Amino acid sequence: MSWLQRMAGEAPVPVYVARGIDASHDDLAALALDANIELVATPRHAAVLLVVGTVPAKFHDGLRRLHDQMPRPATTLWYRSRPLPEFDAPHTLSKTDRLAPTLTDLYRTLYGRTPQPVLLPDRPPAPWRGLGDYGQGGEGMMGGTPYGRPMAMTDDDLRDGLQLDALGFTLGPFFGPWAPGLLMHMSLQGDVVQRVSVQSPPFPQAPPTVFGAALRGAVPIADLELARARSHLFGLAHSLETAGLRSLALRTLAHAARLRPGVDIGLMRGWLRRCGLFASVPPGCGQLTRTQAIRIGGTAARAAGQPMDARLEDPAYRRLGFSVIVQDAGDCRARWRQWLGEIEQSLALADRAAGENVYTDQTEVVETPRGRWRRGAGIADASAVLEELLPGMEWSEAMATIASLDVAAGEPGEGGEP
Amino acid sequence: MGTDLLLPVVVLFAVLVAGVYLVQVFDGIVASALSGIPARDHWLAPLRRGAWLWLQQDITTEHPDALNWRLAPMVYFTLAALGMAVIPWAGQVVAADLSTGIVLWGSVEALATVVIFLHGWSANAVFPLLGAYRYVALGLSYILISMFVLIGVALPAESLKITYVVLSQQELWNVVRQPLGLPLFLIVGLGIAFWGPLNFADSADLAGGTAAEVSGPHRLLWTVARSAMLVAFSAVAAATFLGGWLGPWLPGLVWMVLKMLLVLAALLLLGRVLARPAPERFLTFAWVVLLPLAFLDLVWAGLEAL
Repeated sequence: MSWLQRMAGEAPVPVYVARGIDASHDDLAALALDANIELVATPRHAAVLLVVGTVPAKFHDGLRRLHDQMPRPATTLWYRSRPLPEFDAPHTLSKTDRLAPTLTDLYRTLYGRTPQPVLLPDRPPAPWRGLGDYGQGGEGMMGGTPYGRPMAMTDDDLRDGLQLDALGFTLGPFFGPWAPGLLMHMSLQGDVVQRVSVQSPPFPQAPPTVFGAALRGAVPIADLELARARSHLFGLAHSLETAGLRSLALRTLAHAARLRPGVDIGLMRGWLRRCGLFASVPPGCGQLTRTQAIRIGGTAARAAGQPMDARLEDPAYRRLGFSVIVQDAGDCRARWRQWLGEIEQSLALADRAAGENVYTDQTEVVETPRGRWRRGAGIADASAVLEELLPGMEWSEAMATIASLDVAAGEPGEGGEP
Repeated sequence: MGTDLLLPVVVLFAVLVAGVYLVQVFDGIVASALSGIPARDHWLAPLRRGAWLWLQQDITTEHPDALNWRLAPMVYFTLAALGMAVIPWAGQVVAADLSTGIVLWGSVEALATVVIFLHGWSANAVFPLLGAYRYVALGLSYILISMFVLIGVALPAESLKITYVVLSQQELWNVVRQPLGLPLFLIVGLGIAFWGPLNFADSADLAGGTAAEVSGPHRLLWTVARSAMLVAFSAVAAATFLGGWLGPWLPGLVWMVLKMLLVLAALLLLGRVLARPAPERFLTFAWVVLLPLAFLDLVWAGLEAL
C-alpha cells in the first residue's frame, strides 16, 4: 500500500445507507454520531454501501443499480440483511456494537481487496440510434421518446403559466431523505413539482419496542415518554439536515442519545429559532386539510388543531395531569413547533412519572410517535396524502414537507403485539 | 518588471493554496464545535480526504456533456484566481493593478453563473440539473447587490482601482463609513460560492446538487474551486471594506491576510448556523429587501462622498 493509500484510509468512512424493512433509527443515529463515519447523500460519494434490514425482491434491481453507481474502490456491508446472490463472499453483520468498527475495517483494507463485481450490464438502457430528418432520434423536433428516452416537451405549469419542459423521473426506494421504501414518480417544471404518484409506499415501520410492550402490559410511562421525545428529536434532526444544517442535526441526535427525564431543552429551542429553520419555509407550506390531518394522525393531526391523542384514554396519564398540545396552522412550521412542544412535555411527564413510578393503565391502545395504535389494528399507510400535498411546491418546500411528516404504516416489529 | 510581477504572483498562489486548505480546516473546526462531535485531527483531515478523492474512480453518467463537465471546475477555479489577481496584498504587491479592478471582479461573479450552470447541466442527470436551474434563478440577485455595494466603495476612492479603494480608507474603513456595505457583501459571498444558507446549487435536499454525480478527482477539484472562490471573495471584502493592507506595527501583507481570514471565518460560521431558505423565499427577500438596502447604501456612499 502506498503512503497515499494509507492516508486515504485514515479519512472518515463515506457510507451510503440503503434502508430496508425494519432499519432501526437508533442504529443509524449512532452511526451518524461516530466521528469515523460520514453518512453521504449519494452513492457517488460513498465507498461503502451499507444495506440495513430486509430488501424485498422487487427492489433488488434498484439495490444493484445503487451498488453499481458507487465509484471504485467500494464495498458492501449487509447488516441484518440477506446478501444478493451475486456476492461470493459477502460481508455480513448482525451485532449492533460492531457496526462502526466493521465499516472502518472494511474501508481501511479497501485497496488490497479484489474489486467488487459489477451487477448490472453497463450499457445504455436503450440504443442510441439516429432517426428522423436531423438524426434527432424522434419524429418531429420535440416530444415523444426517441432512443427510448423522453424528449423535452412543454407542459402545463401550475405556478405562473409559463410553459417549460417537463422533467419526469422516479426516485426511491433508497433515497436517504425519504422514508425507506418510498418510491415516487415526480414531474417537475423548473424546480416546481407538477405531479406526484406514489409507486410504492414506505416500508411499514415498527414503533420503538416499548410501545409494543405497552399493548402487552403495563410499562413505565417514563420509558414511553422518553422514547417519544427521542423519536421527535430524530424527526427534527432530519428536518435540520434537509435545511442544510448538518452540524446542528448531529447536535440534535446527540441530545436524543443522552436523553434523561426532566432535561431542559430551552437552549435547543433557542438555537432552533435563531438558525432560521422556521423561517426557511413560507407560512402555509405543507398545510394539511382536516381530512388529511386526521388520515395521517399523530403529531401531524395535533399540529393541525385536532386534539387526537390516545394518552387521553389512559387514567394514569390523566392522573399525571396530561393535556393535549395542539397547533392551529397545520403546516411545516406548526409540525416542528408541535415536535418541540411534545418533546418538552414528554420530558416533563417522564420526570413526574419516574418520580412517582407511574405505569400505564391502558393496554388496548397506545399513542406512538407515529399516532394512535390500537391492539391488533396497526397504523395505516398515509403516503397517498403526498400526491395531493406536493404539487405546486418548489422542490425544497416539498422536501421540507416530506421531512416534517411521518406517513409510513406502523406494524409491530420483533417482539411485536400479543 | 519581471521581479515586480513575480512577488505578487507568488503571494497570490500561496494565499490561494493555503486559503483553500484553511477553508477545510476552519470548516471542520466549526462543524465539530457545533455538533459536539470531536474530530480526530482537524489539520490532517482535509489531506486525508483529498488523498481519498484523488485515488477514487472518476465516474461518469450516461452521455454527459463531457467537455463542459470536466471544464467547469477548472474554469470556476480559474475565475477565483483571476479575481484574486486584482487584489493588492500590500502597497506595491498586486499582480494586475487594473484601473478597472472592481469591474473585473464583477465579471468574475457574472461568469461564475455560467460555469455553475454548466456544471449542473452537463452532468445529464436530474439533481445536478435542478441545482443548475436554481443557481441561474438566483445568480442575478447576488450580482446586482454586489454591483451597488462595490460602486459604493469606489465613490470615496474616485476610482475603480482596488489599490485606490484601499488607500481611500486611510482615515476610516469602509466597514464603518458605509455600515450597510459589508453585511450585504457577505451575503453576496455566500451566494457566489453557494455556501451554507445560500447553497442552492449543491444543497443537501438535492443530494449534493451539481456535485451529486461527481466523484474522485473531479469532486476534489470542484471542492477546491468552491473553497478558492470563498477565499477570493474574502480577499476582495478585506480590501474593499476592512482597509486591506492598512494597519499599524505589522507588515501590510500580514494585515491583509489576517483580515481576509477574519472574513473567511465569519462566512464559514454563518454557513453552518443558518438554515437554507426556500429559493423563491430568498429571491423575494433579495429583490424586496436586500436590493433596496444596497441602493440605500449607494445613496449613503454618494452623500458621504460629496
